[in-house]
Amino acid sequence: MGRPRRILTAFALALWLAACGSYAGSEEGAPGGGDSPASEAAAFPVTIEGTNGRVTIDERPERIVSLSPTATEDLFATGAGDQVIAVDELSNFPAEAPVTELSGYEPNVEAIAGYEPDLVVFATEPGDLAASLEGLGITALQLDAAPTLRGAFDQIEQLGLATGHVAEADALVAELRVEVNLLVDGSDPSGLSFYYELDDTFYSATSKTFIGQLFELLGLENIADPAGKGSGGYPQLSAEYIIEADPDLIFLADTKCCGQSPETVAERPGWDEIAAVTDGGVVALDDDVASRWGPRVVDLLSQIAAAADAAEEDAA
Amino acid sequence: MSLRTALRGSRARAFVVGVAVLIAALLAGLLIGPVRIGAANVLRWLVSFGRTPSGMSEQEALILAELRLPRVIVAGLVGASLAASGAAYQAVFRNPLADPYLLGAAAGAGLGATIAVGYGPAGAIDVTVPVAAFVGALVGVGLAYGLGRSNVGGRAATSLVLAGVAVASFLTAVQTFLQQQRSDTLRQVYTWILGRLGTTGWDDVWLALPSVVLAVTTLWVVRRLLDVIEVGDVEAQSLGLNVTRLRLVVVLAASLATAAAVAVAGLIGFVGIIVPHTVRLLVGGSYRSVLPLSVLFGASFLIVVDLLARTVVAPAEIPIGVITALVGAPFFVVVLRRNRRAT
Amino acid sequence: MKVEARSDVALALEVRDLSVELGRRPIVTDVRLDVPTGGWLCVIGPNGAGKTTLVHAIAGLVPRTGSVRLWGRSTDELGRRERARSVALVPQLPAIPESFTVEQYVLLGRTPHLGLLASEGAGDLEAAATALERLDLGWAASRRLDSLSGGELRRAVIARAIAQEAPLLLLDEPTTGLDIAQQLRVLELVDELRRADGLTVVSTMHDLTLAGRFAQRFALLSGGHVVAEGPRGEVLLPHVIAEHYGARVGVIDDGSLGWAVVPLSGPEP
Repeated sequence: MGRPRRILTAFALALWLAACGSYAGSEEGAPGGGDSPASEAAAFPVTIEGTNGRVTIDERPERIVSLSPTATEDLFATGAGDQVIAVDELSNFPAEAPVTELSGYEPNVEAIAGYEPDLVVFATEPGDLAASLEGLGITALQLDAAPTLRGAFDQIEQLGLATGHVAEADALVAELRVEVNLLVDGSDPSGLSFYYELDDTFYSATSKTFIGQLFELLGLENIADPAGKGSGGYPQLSAEYIIEADPDLIFLADTKCCGQSPETVAERPGWDEIAAVTDGGVVALDDDVASRWGPRVVDLLSQIAAAADAAEEDAA
Repeated sequence: MSLRTALRGSRARAFVVGVAVLIAALLAGLLIGPVRIGAANVLRWLVSFGRTPSGMSEQEALILAELRLPRVIVAGLVGASLAASGAAYQAVFRNPLADPYLLGAAAGAGLGATIAVGYGPAGAIDVTVPVAAFVGALVGVGLAYGLGRSNVGGRAATSLVLAGVAVASFLTAVQTFLQQQRSDTLRQVYTWILGRLGTTGWDDVWLALPSVVLAVTTLWVVRRLLDVIEVGDVEAQSLGLNVTRLRLVVVLAASLATAAAVAVAGLIGFVGIIVPHTVRLLVGGSYRSVLPLSVLFGASFLIVVDLLARTVVAPAEIPIGVITALVGAPFFVVVLRRNRRAT
Repeated sequence: MKVEARSDVALALEVRDLSVELGRRPIVTDVRLDVPTGGWLCVIGPNGAGKTTLVHAIAGLVPRTGSVRLWGRSTDELGRRERARSVALVPQLPAIPESFTVEQYVLLGRTPHLGLLASEGAGDLEAAATALERLDLGWAASRRLDSLSGGELRRAVIARAIAQEAPLLLLDEPTTGLDIAQQLRVLELVDELRRADGLTVVSTMHDLTLAGRFAQRFALLSGGHVVAEGPRGEVLLPHVIAEHYGARVGVIDDGSLGWAVVPLSGPEP
């Protein structure tokens, strides 16, 4: 996942936090969410709450184009994979997703229209994508970066509704919720500190961010929080600051973009004395998983919990 | 006695002042940083050659030894290189706006870095980028020199400058094209272009030191000849100077210094123009003073600028190129106005 | 070290078949000149005749064919610095580095005497100081060049050439920008140096009267060729000047006023 996406995520999050949107509060009463009938045929037309407002889908979409890697994952995880005809170049999971050269950042409306889609799902609005698509008679649904875990689960349900896979979506979300609760209950890191690295210039994420909340759920202490004032949740730290903070765990979300790994971290000048480095607490995360808000978020949570437990044992 | 009076007095005294300023800058760079370490402790640490004094934690000693000290040294080396190269280029091209990147060094380095980031192995970036930038800078200059070399009397300098502009434009265009192909790496390349010392360690010192020492020493040694070339190619030749050879030597040395600077710190602009001009305003135009003082003040300037870059919005860092422009311009205006009032 | 003036060789400067081409255009063609030691040759001619190019060619600054010998030695054999110690050039339009002091500027004249790593020694400083004194610029030593008047600047350039201590001095339009008093002073000084130090002088001048009063031999360059050569009485003649300059002049050689070229106007007598 490219770093521009993180910046866009930051902006989106700022908007969301300010608006404290109806979206975040819609977990119980999503229109058509928990109330829709089990029969798929009778499910349409439906109205979805997208970032771009209320979107009405008249019939079950059979030619879906996804320009959002998270939406791609959501769609395939809820069984709508065979309704997806094209996904953007960064949608690299699951492997069977039909990847094309379409761009999620600089979408070319003509290229998208060339696939004759009946539904286009995207995450970032470069300016007039939705309007252009609507102008061509194509239904456009924007699902922006979710600010919370609940928000992420809501999106899965919304997509289930939009594609006629309500039952699968609900089941998936229920399963994910159970897993999350298990992980949260099973962890007791009693104040272990961590540093979450977004890129090799030491940008991090505070507990106010989506990813930061995951760590907070597990009770871990984020060294970026004191530095986060006024930075929109993504402050830049410095080597000195990190060394001084001496975190017990380091999570690298820049393994793909910037080639970082526990080995490269240990080689950084002055870093070899940090607790995380000496005790093997440097964890390489998958950039993509760490920057999306799809079902694999729970895998991420589980990886973090495992690292926290291992560090807990070492400390004990 | 004002700084200006001190510098004008005699060359020896000016040199001493320059060294004093450099030492002050070095100390400031070590004492100040995002993490507070007591001044007394730092001095004790320095004096004991790196053994941790009792009042200091291991972390603090580590920060000093592995982060601040190499960083301050690299900032000094880079500042000295850029200032000396800028001054020397201004002499041999007789152009007050000549800067170290004149002959395509910046464009070549940028292209090298873009290729390394976009197409090289992601895990080896901290090795591939400096090397690629270094090589790119030299290739850029080589192309410009090869294309622009001319033996015709007074036009040699202009011809080189024009070739440099052409080469820079071309290489920049290629760089932009490649960046578009690999737009996910845009942010990384951009960060490098703005100039940063955030991840500097001792290996950057060893990487830059030999080239910088060799190149800056060469420029220092030929400083008297830089005065001679001020009267133009034709007159300088009538005074017995081998103008073409001097220009070649200066281009080689300045390119080597600039390539090393760019390899470890990215593209930091402004230093190569601001420092020599400010020195000229203070001590007059003879390169016998301008060059050595540019080296000393260039080093001090960049150490101080880097200090600001890492403390003003700590723990975040402002890219150095931004600060050199923000700080350099008003400073230059102040010196210029004071000079106008004085004379 | 440098080419020394030799008393056994009569000719300080011997130029044969000198031609200069720029691009494909011939600027100067088959020039032949002889200048004895201690003599003063003035090259005259209309604008565009190639006078400056000729002087630069003698100084070795432009590629040429033909030969230039200094006291019997061909300048092609000389290294750059050796040649600079033997021939000093005062250019017509010198580049003035404004922030230099007069002393620094004149010291540039010592460049051909200094090795790469060397810096000026006492002897060099003395040569520069002496040159400044002779040009009445001693008072200006620490002044910046951009604070001097036109006449003072020209004297500074000449001082630089004097400081070079070369036995052959080339002056390209040395009176440019000077008022009548300054012109006389400069030319008288050059004449004095010629007599006192045995300096050999080659100059180009547009002022025919001054040329005629100071130089001993003349070469009229027109269209790149030497069309007349010899002492004043053989070259600076009204019909010669009329033919090559296209101007009507008269020549006065009056006992008390001396020799002068006078421009004439009005119909032909």
